[in-house]
Amino acid sequence: MTDAELVALTRDGDADAFGVLVSRYYEACRRFAYHMLGDRSDAEDVVQETLMRAYRAIARYDERDQFRGWLFRILTNQCRNALTARGRRTRRFVQDEVALEQAHAPAAGLQLGTEHAALSRAIAQLDSLQREAILLKYAEGLEYTEMSAITGVGESALKMRVKRGSERLRVILGTRDE
Amino acid sequence: MTDNTGMLSFPTPDEDDVLAAQIAAMYAATPTADAGTAERVARAVLADAMHTPSRSAFGVLRPRWWWGAVAATLLVAVTMRPWRAVGRVVGTTASSSASANGPSDGATVAQPSGMVTVLSGGDEVRFDLKLPAKAREVAIVGDFNGWDEKATPMLRRNADNSWSAQVPLTPGRHVYAFVVDGTRWLVDPLAPQVPDSGFGPSNAVMVEGATQ
Repeated sequence: MTDAELVALTRDGDADAFGVLVSRYYEACRRFAYHMLGDRSDAEDVVQETLMRAYRAIARYDERDQFRGWLFRILTNQCRNALTARGRRTRRFVQDEVALEQAHAPAAGLQLGTEHAALSRAIAQLDSLQREAILLKYAEGLEYTEMSAITGVGESALKMRVKRGSERLRVILGTRDE
Repeated sequence: MTDNTGMLSFPTPDEDDVLAAQIAAMYAATPTADAGTAERVARAVLADAMHTPSRSAFGVLRPRWWWGAVAATLLVAVTMRPWRAVGRVVGTTASSSASANGPSDGATVAQPSGMVTVLSGGDEVRFDLKLPAKAREVAIVGDFNGWDEKATPMLRRNADNSWSAQVPLTPGRHVYAFVVDGTRWLVDPLAPQVPDSGFGPSNAVMVEGATQ
């Protein structure tokens, strides 16, 4: 059954249809939120809030949009909100390389292999807007037009963020001098 | 990331491909949630929805606390009509109102206009930008601040949509653009521009100095 059919059933009050949509996209949302926020618990909270908002707003969903893109639009907004709220409290992404090395390992259940851990840490050190652009472009494999629809940011700005983020990653990973 | 000529240096396509592949592999290797998590979340979402009043149909017509504020704002806007020039005659044609009010009439300004002033001392430049419409925030980005939209916010000068920022610049050519409300990049159409290198057009300014 297609996403559009499941959305139509959900609008008609079929709770199971929405359950299928959740099972279809929960993992993708959780993965993106985790790499955006760097914290499993925060990521799961944000995804649940995203799905709640999607369910409440499903009457306003436009069938001409891809459901995944529409859902990610809500998700990216929720991630930004979470980062803003966190910024008021504390900065969790440690910029200091030494402190990063000495930090506790990630929570069990989301531990990445050694070969990916350095890259994950490097992405966590990016500015949040650059991180968002890098993840949507390289991790989600989206085109700039899709990224623009999701983030509400112009394609030129997104290209610049990906370029600057890529340069920063190479510097952090030591594959290019600053 | 500029070379000695001040030009942007770009990674080769291979470098981008390698990085993209590494990120995609790292992303794909992210451990998945415990079995049944998605189902639990779906149940929680549906349970929450059952306890939340529906917003569909006539839900939006329920009385809201902010209705009074919206009504007051609308009343002020309709009564004072701040977008109209003072003394403007109702019913004039667009051309006559333009000539009567002159080029500085905000309603007739169709595109942004800017000015760059090298301040006394020569090591600081003031950028002025006048927008045709209101904006919440405006920033200047360029090679001098790493194209960071948060690094150099412009200050709103007054109520006529004018913004300005003072930036210390070293002698040489600098490339810049403006970012409106964090999303819309624009350039001053009347200022010198550099060719679009794939990221949209940019303005250029040359700062002269003894150390150039």
